[in-house]
Amino acid sequence: MLAIILTSIAYASILAIGCAAITLLYTSTRVFSFAHASMVSWGFYLTYIFYKLSQLSPYLFMPFAALIVGIYGIIIYVLIIRGLIRAKASEITLMMVTLGVDFILFAFLNILIDYFYYNFKWDIKNVNIVLRDLTVATIVNTSIKAVHIVAPVTALLLLLLMHVFLTKTSIGIAMRASIENPTLSSILGINVDMVYMLAWFIGSMFAGLSGSLLTMLMQGSSTIGSDLIVMYFAGSVVGGLQSILGGLFGGLLVGLSERLLSYYLSSIFPWIYAYRFVIPLAMLVATLLLYPRGLAGLVERR
Amino acid sequence: MIEGGFFILLNVVFNVGIYLILSLSLNIETGFTNIPQFGRLTAALAGSIAAGGIIGRVAAILAGQPIGDEFIKANTHVISEVNNYLFANPLVSILLLILALITSILLGALIGLLTALPALRLKEAYLGITLLSFGEILRTFTYNYEPIIGGTLGVLTPSFLGFTGDYETITLLLFVVIMAMLCFAIAERISKSPLGRVMRAVRDSELAIQVYGRSVMRIKIYAIVIGSAMAALAGALYSIFTKTSRADVFTRYSWTFLPWAYIMLGGVGNNLGVALGVIVMSIARSMISIYKHEISSYLFNIDATWLEYILMGLVIILITMFRPQGMLPEKPVFTLPRDRIEEARKRSLKERASS
Repeated sequence: MLAIILTSIAYASILAIGCAAITLLYTSTRVFSFAHASMVSWGFYLTYIFYKLSQLSPYLFMPFAALIVGIYGIIIYVLIIRGLIRAKASEITLMMVTLGVDFILFAFLNILIDYFYYNFKWDIKNVNIVLRDLTVATIVNTSIKAVHIVAPVTALLLLLLMHVFLTKTSIGIAMRASIENPTLSSILGINVDMVYMLAWFIGSMFAGLSGSLLTMLMQGSSTIGSDLIVMYFAGSVVGGLQSILGGLFGGLLVGLSERLLSYYLSSIFPWIYAYRFVIPLAMLVATLLLYPRGLAGLVERR
Repeated sequence: MIEGGFFILLNVVFNVGIYLILSLSLNIETGFTNIPQFGRLTAALAGSIAAGGIIGRVAAILAGQPIGDEFIKANTHVISEVNNYLFANPLVSILLLILALITSILLGALIGLLTALPALRLKEAYLGITLLSFGEILRTFTYNYEPIIGGTLGVLTPSFLGFTGDYETITLLLFVVIMAMLCFAIAERISKSPLGRVMRAVRDSELAIQVYGRSVMRIKIYAIVIGSAMAALAGALYSIFTKTSRADVFTRYSWTFLPWAYIMLGGVGNNLGVALGVIVMSIARSMISIYKHEISSYLFNIDATWLEYILMGLVIILITMFRPQGMLPEKPVFTLPRDRIEEARKRSLKERASS
């Protein structure tokens, strides 16, 4: 019982980090990124590959994996998104172009996996290192794994950091200003282009981090990102797509409802467990139809 | 080798046929009316359900087979009995085939209407995500709920043209091609009709069309219903040709994103461009999958499957960045044949001269 609650909280926190990433990209550059899927997968595999190469704790490599995926974000922004934003492309065009990016990132990830298969004889089409996680403590026969603590703490830490960054540092304030009114901020001497690039870097880094934390929680293949992408979308839409904090809470809510709610419901109706993916999607649709501003709309200052 | 070549040709023609219908349906919604339909698979899956789940059961009743639990559990046996029955009754088979297509079109239109009514209050990315979610909901549900089309196992679709014997595949393929041509004619007709012009007006300026007293909502519903009906036809034809109806075949990649890539390459809003995009990309994809060993031996043993993804990704990115109008850009459509326009022009000139 405790194990399920702990796993659900860890899962929800990981989802929340990814939802914050989607929300950040949407609020800053109006890009609803399909490429998020492959970024999560890349974070997942990079962490695993570093771990396998060094045999050290995977937690050590999570920041590196996130950083590498963050650099992908910068490259994508500079090569593709920047030009399209200048050409005033529509939201749908931007969405489609990230789909193209997603295909390419996905293909290169699989090529990397094949490379390790041919040259190192590693069979890593399916990765499962959940059991290698450290057991921190044991309470009532339930072993508390490191990820059960690391994932929520990371989400909380990012929440705090983002809050401090956006309200206290000058570059964070510049970012908020550019998101709210790009023209006015550029008149005031803010380099909006740099701000967008930073947003892509942070957003992609969060996506990568979300993926790399997943290594300790579930098994997966290169499609882990595209399997979960709808959950990430659901979380960010439930959060309202307006503020990063809204995204974090939306992800938390969706993750908890997918895992915990379906667990409780399945003790009453056992057949319901197979349909647990429908719960977040139904939440997404309900939010959009009933209260399109999402969770962020609830706390918005008037 | 000839047989192999023939098989490749069949494969290409089949892919072109199915994806032409699918892309044309997407073009009606996205190209003409600017609805970001990221849930193309919803209607296609509905079409497959109509063919395998509904008409499969109708055929089972006619053949005196069970349609309840046993239809799913002993599906192979039931369908083989059904096929024997259909083999003996060609007329019934043809009627059932037509009925399957009509049912799929109706079910697709219904699903389209059901998704359109709540979703169309939203705009742009929100609308796209909602339509995508509807597709995922229907697919997850069908994949897990066995009584419809057998859940994870799927059901077999009766071979409606089994009586043609050895020519069954060819006949079915011909049928798919005829259907694709018919859909092209319908899409062209819509494009040139008053409805098509209003759809384009909705795309270009919703405000302007409201000023002229048209309901934007109604036009968008028409577009989704027509598009979904057509996509359902593609799903049904796919199931009839491959003789299986399973939810997990209807993936986001094959049934939503590929048609999007095709219409973007060909030319959004131009039926002829869409057809060109479908033909070019289908041939390219088939070539990659046929020559995968040769290609990967040249390219550092990279699996050709990933090359296909790279190709698709590059096509989408390069087209959006450098040629957003596609290979064949959309042109103003002439609603009348050229000679009749010329005739009308001469007549009006004459009238002006005489007055």
